[in-house]
Amino acid sequence: MMSQFVLRNLFHRPIRTLIGVLAIAVEVALVVLIVGLTSGMLQETAKRIEGIGADVLVQAPSAQVFLGMSGSPMPVKIADRLQEQKYVQSVAPAILQFNTSGGVETVWGIDPVSFRDVSNGFVFHQGRDLEGPDDLLIDDLAAKSKKLKLGDTHNLFNHDWKVVGIIEHGKGGRLFVPIHTLQDLVGARDKATIFLVRCTRPEHTDDVISEIKQLLPNYQVRPIKEFMTLMSSTNIPALETFIHSMIALAVAVGLLVIFLTMYTTVLERTRDIGVLKSLGASKLLIVRALLTETALLCFLGIVAGVGLSYLVRAGFIAAFPTLPILITYGWLIRAGLIALVGAMVGSSYPAWIASRKDAVQALSYD
Amino acid sequence: MPITVRIQTNASYSTDPELKTLEPILKTENLWKLYHAGKVEVPALRGVNFDVLPGESVAVMGPSGCGKSSLLYVIGGLAQASRGKVFVDGNDLSNMTDAERTKLRRSKIGFVFQRFNLLPSLTARGNIAIAQYIHGDGFDPHRFEVVTKLLGLEGRLHHRPSEMSGGEQQRVAIARAIINEPKILLADEPTGNLDTKNSEIVLEMLRRLNKDLGQTIVMITHNPEATTYFDRVVHMRDGVIVDGIPAD
Repeated sequence: MMSQFVLRNLFHRPIRTLIGVLAIAVEVALVVLIVGLTSGMLQETAKRIEGIGADVLVQAPSAQVFLGMSGSPMPVKIADRLQEQKYVQSVAPAILQFNTSGGVETVWGIDPVSFRDVSNGFVFHQGRDLEGPDDLLIDDLAAKSKKLKLGDTHNLFNHDWKVVGIIEHGKGGRLFVPIHTLQDLVGARDKATIFLVRCTRPEHTDDVISEIKQLLPNYQVRPIKEFMTLMSSTNIPALETFIHSMIALAVAVGLLVIFLTMYTTVLERTRDIGVLKSLGASKLLIVRALLTETALLCFLGIVAGVGLSYLVRAGFIAAFPTLPILITYGWLIRAGLIALVGAMVGSSYPAWIASRKDAVQALSYD
Repeated sequence: MPITVRIQTNASYSTDPELKTLEPILKTENLWKLYHAGKVEVPALRGVNFDVLPGESVAVMGPSGCGKSSLLYVIGGLAQASRGKVFVDGNDLSNMTDAERTKLRRSKIGFVFQRFNLLPSLTARGNIAIAQYIHGDGFDPHRFEVVTKLLGLEGRLHHRPSEMSGGEQQRVAIARAIINEPKILLADEPTGNLDTKNSEIVLEMLRRLNKDLGQTIVMITHNPEATTYFDRVVHMRDGVIVDGIPAD
């Protein structure tokens, strides 16, 4: 009977219910998408780094895990010394430059030969490798996103580049240019941001790391495999705070909408509450009825929110192919629980007010 | 100091010799109800003494503001008495907490209101069944069938209040009030929102409940004709009962 009562109350005012459901859905979708976007970008970046095929990554002592933010503080000559180490097959220096013009991306300046040695080369959809100083390689997703095709000119760092090849995504960056040209453009001649090291055999990775650490004390030397675990929000400055702030904002919106919805519901149903009291309904029963209604409203909102999240992700992928959104079951459940707790908190005060209403006044309410 | 007029009621006035031997199922002793308008105390009931025997039907009449509804709410446990005693089936409501009065109301009292007060989201069936749910004994299909048949609601059970006439809504309200077999049925001007024809139907049903099932009924009314359906009529004025005579 209670479930029937709650269900019928829920659908007695369909617009009110719809707004409540939408508020919860937006809350859930916001949480899922914000977390999904940040973790998706981080994971996708890590996968691309891993996809190069190198075994060891060398960075300057003060470098950050977010590669594009690290500048280019290492002399490129270090590559020669690394190459001399036992079990090192090849070394590729790269200069990484963060670009915010026309989108947020990291441009990789590479030496085509050494990069090919380390990575076994690109898979070309169209075109050829870097040869001239103004050549630009772009991966298929970025080409689709930027609507660039072979032979097009693309301006980066106030410099016109010619698209000479479209490559399969997943090898470090999305945009590759000759290292010397990029060094000149950013005023970092003979400097490199990272060194990618390929070992003669993967089993020698630890030995190579030990040797490099002896050679370059204080430098950050880590296996590429470890990079995946480092690319989390906790390792990116302020990202965790940003995520928490956005989740708090989403929860606040959901909580306030549910509070308002249930508060107006209690006002609207004042007479009904009086009737229930006249029938002998306890305070607990009235609170339970309202909280059950909220929980049901929330459940519908969570389902809608999950659907909305996948819908928005599909839209994002269509519009921005390079923006990955990682939706995990863990975060879907967490977002649902966050919404449920927020909704319960939001409706607890109206429910408490309802339970304490004076029966006689409630019955004479117009 | 207002004067309380104590009128001997029920047993001594009853024409039924059997009733004279019964204990009142409802009894008030020097019952006061004060409302507060700011710092001013406004007395709605001023020392009411009122008895109702089991199986009796009593109509309470009086001008607006004389305290009829307050009396009904206090004896029904919806409002707390300011002073005095209220006994319902031997239980003293004046010493009870709100939760205790709620529990007593659930099992011993049924209410019928002037404005029907059906839950708009539920069908007639739902409105009746929710009283059974709140009562706690679950849905009793036999009792449900008997009551709905008695009140002629069989064909209207799947309709919502907005789809029913006033008379039908009030019959649903009566069914809801008696579905748990309360000791006392309290009706607050149940014909106040009905036309003459529907008023007569509702009053006739109340009379049948009283005569056929022995349901104790206390009804507030402005309608003098309604009193003819009841065993006894009590008149109130200025918060006190001014007489209590058996109806012809």
